[in-house]
Amino acid sequence: MTTKISRREMLKLTAASAVAMSTGLVSSTKIFAAPPGQDTITLRFQENEQYYAEVVEAFKQQFPNVNIEYVTVTGIDHAEVASKILSQLAAGTPVDIGYAATEATQLYAGEGLALPLTQRVLDSKEELAEYFADVSPVLTETMMYEGDLYQLPRDFNAANMYFNTELLAKAGLEMPPAEWTKDDFVEYARAMTGIDGSYGYGWTNRLWGSWTPWFFVNNTNFLVEERAPGGEWMWETFYADDPKAQGRGGGWRWPAPQANNPEMLEALEFVVSLTRDGLTPEVGMGTGETLTGFFTSGKLGMTPAGGFWSGNLYNQGMPKDAFDVQFWPAWKSQRHQLGVGAAWILNGSQHEDEAWEFVKFTTKKEIMEICGLFNPVTLTTPVRRSMNNEERYSVTGPANWQVFYATLDERPDTGPIPAPVFSIEMTDIYTRFTGLAVNGDMTPKEALDGMQAELEALYARQ
Amino acid sequence: MVSQAIQPKRNRITQWLAADTMEGIRRQRALLGYLFIAPSIIGLLIFIIGPMIATFALSFFKWNVFRPPEFINFENFTRLFSDPRVFTAFRNTFLLVIMTVVMLEILALALALSVHRLASRPLSYFFRTSYFLPVLLSGAAVAVTLGYMFHRDFGVINYYLGLLGIPKISWLTDSNVVLWSVSLTTVWRNLGFTFIIYLGGVSSLPTEILEAAQVDGAYGWRRLKSVVLPLLSPTILFATVTDIIKMLQFFDEPFIMTRGGPGDASRTVVMLMYENAFGNLAFGYGSAIALILFAVILLVTGIQFALSRRWVFYS
Repeated sequence: MTTKISRREMLKLTAASAVAMSTGLVSSTKIFAAPPGQDTITLRFQENEQYYAEVVEAFKQQFPNVNIEYVTVTGIDHAEVASKILSQLAAGTPVDIGYAATEATQLYAGEGLALPLTQRVLDSKEELAEYFADVSPVLTETMMYEGDLYQLPRDFNAANMYFNTELLAKAGLEMPPAEWTKDDFVEYARAMTGIDGSYGYGWTNRLWGSWTPWFFVNNTNFLVEERAPGGEWMWETFYADDPKAQGRGGGWRWPAPQANNPEMLEALEFVVSLTRDGLTPEVGMGTGETLTGFFTSGKLGMTPAGGFWSGNLYNQGMPKDAFDVQFWPAWKSQRHQLGVGAAWILNGSQHEDEAWEFVKFTTKKEIMEICGLFNPVTLTTPVRRSMNNEERYSVTGPANWQVFYATLDERPDTGPIPAPVFSIEMTDIYTRFTGLAVNGDMTPKEALDGMQAELEALYARQ
Repeated sequence: MVSQAIQPKRNRITQWLAADTMEGIRRQRALLGYLFIAPSIIGLLIFIIGPMIATFALSFFKWNVFRPPEFINFENFTRLFSDPRVFTAFRNTFLLVIMTVVMLEILALALALSVHRLASRPLSYFFRTSYFLPVLLSGAAVAVTLGYMFHRDFGVINYYLGLLGIPKISWLTDSNVVLWSVSLTTVWRNLGFTFIIYLGGVSSLPTEILEAAQVDGAYGWRRLKSVVLPLLSPTILFATVTDIIKMLQFFDEPFIMTRGGPGDASRTVVMLMYENAFGNLAFGYGSAIALILFAVILLVTGIQFALSRRWVFYS
């Protein structure tokens, strides 16, 4: 099922700005229309010019009448970026092509802001066959909502475990094997804690990364997970011969909260015990940058991060052999959490066709190769399996770079972080109660009970 | 026969503005005045009055940008008054205002008095510049940097306190301490502005009164309490009113340093308003919070002015 907002409705919504509403006026200005007599079409593209300059240059050679205007939107996390995009929409200056990671995919799709791409993808079947053959079905499914595809995956990051190899060596340890366990992890954390004032393991309080990987490997989630029906068109058309595509549906649903189930409690008690035992330093709200600083300066032995971190560490001056990466340790399972990012097209944009041509163009392998996010330094993990190769990580490291894509291929139960339509408010509840548990204001049980109660109220409001 | 001069035919506007009558001259002057203030009035209408009316109107609607606004009467206000997080945010904001404004006023006044007494001009310029520099820094940059400095395990503040034998303090994750961390950061960043206001006030104190007080034997604390502070009272009123209004809108520091945590321990009213409007897409509810905050600011400022009649000395 798709909720399509017609252009007329979209115009009305955006025009229903606060001032207009207060005065009872609804402007009928055609905000998406190009000025009369202008032959060149301008697409407003939510991206950073430094990453896309070469891509856009190549696109212009093929489509000289399409101009790309960059709209840079920054934020401390995806929720903040999403809120800024929505503010632009409210102000009547929306983008034609936006970028969203898993955190906002269903928000944009569910509210009818993003254009469903299903028919367009089917119409370009021959052109896109090579792309989908190179992209794991896990990633494609994550970009689907209620049976339709809304984004062509560009990059992904699954939470793997990064090691500071210098601290590891000082502790007399070697990189653990792929099948290492939670108990092995505790031993590693204990061994690396205290060396030159360091801590064995560090994390920050947010949705991705955070303590989310721990309840994933404990075979649970704070929201009930289920697959939406539909999506056969995708699996039969592009993944008919791929066994990893079997059993997939039309995207993910999170129909109810279950934050205080026993497995969740067990996982939270575990991470709280790491702080209590002095293996983890203070856990605050934050982003990867906080951890990067502490990790590069040798204060943290292990921390959750995805492929994006290798480029970040390299840019911070960390030699490629000073860190390495492994799967997340196994507990009841070794199921990883991931997030996927991609462009979306504004539903109601006057230039949907041109925007689709641009989005499709950016999925070509030779174009992805020149994208500033993947070249010269890999700043996030490319979704194409063939682009995750030795050459890519030869300058930045890590040595065990194969883990990034193996997380999808060898751990096919890997799934997205929970991100329903109301993910922004949900994330606030999640991080608030997590903070109260790790700082000791609440016991893990109290925190999860509180989280459950607020999530139930949130679901009731929808 | 009396001859009559032929008057040129005037249209109604030129007649209305005719310079050969007193009324016309008065009207011309008035029109000129209105033209001069028009840019300010238009700016005020577009950027202040308009959004205020819009916020008022929005507070009666449910609107999430995607769907058309839905009129819901007083539902946002009913929710607001039964939402415990709103009361927590107001409590945090008031505590932050008290802590910050008290520290700001005392420190800024003390520094202004000290710098004013400096005989060396270069030294005086040096201190003025030093105290004012943090005002020029971005709030977000300050909050990020101090966020690192306040880190319990890796922060430089706990490192130096540790050298003095003081155990680690969870500046940003202890619910009982976090408001102090936010407040200290804000004081450091805003001190320079309040300092300049006080320095201006101190510099314009009438020297003949100060000298007369000295002749009468008023020195030190007595001179400060009985002469300087009463003379400075209009400046103190101005500084406290503007600082309180500014601090009631606390946002940058707690938003960057703690995101309102742990839990809601450092969440302020403006943060809650922002998160509801732009995070949860409840623009109506966010507007209702903004409206209540506006009323509170108005009330607090009104009380300050009412009380000022008792202690502010204007002549």
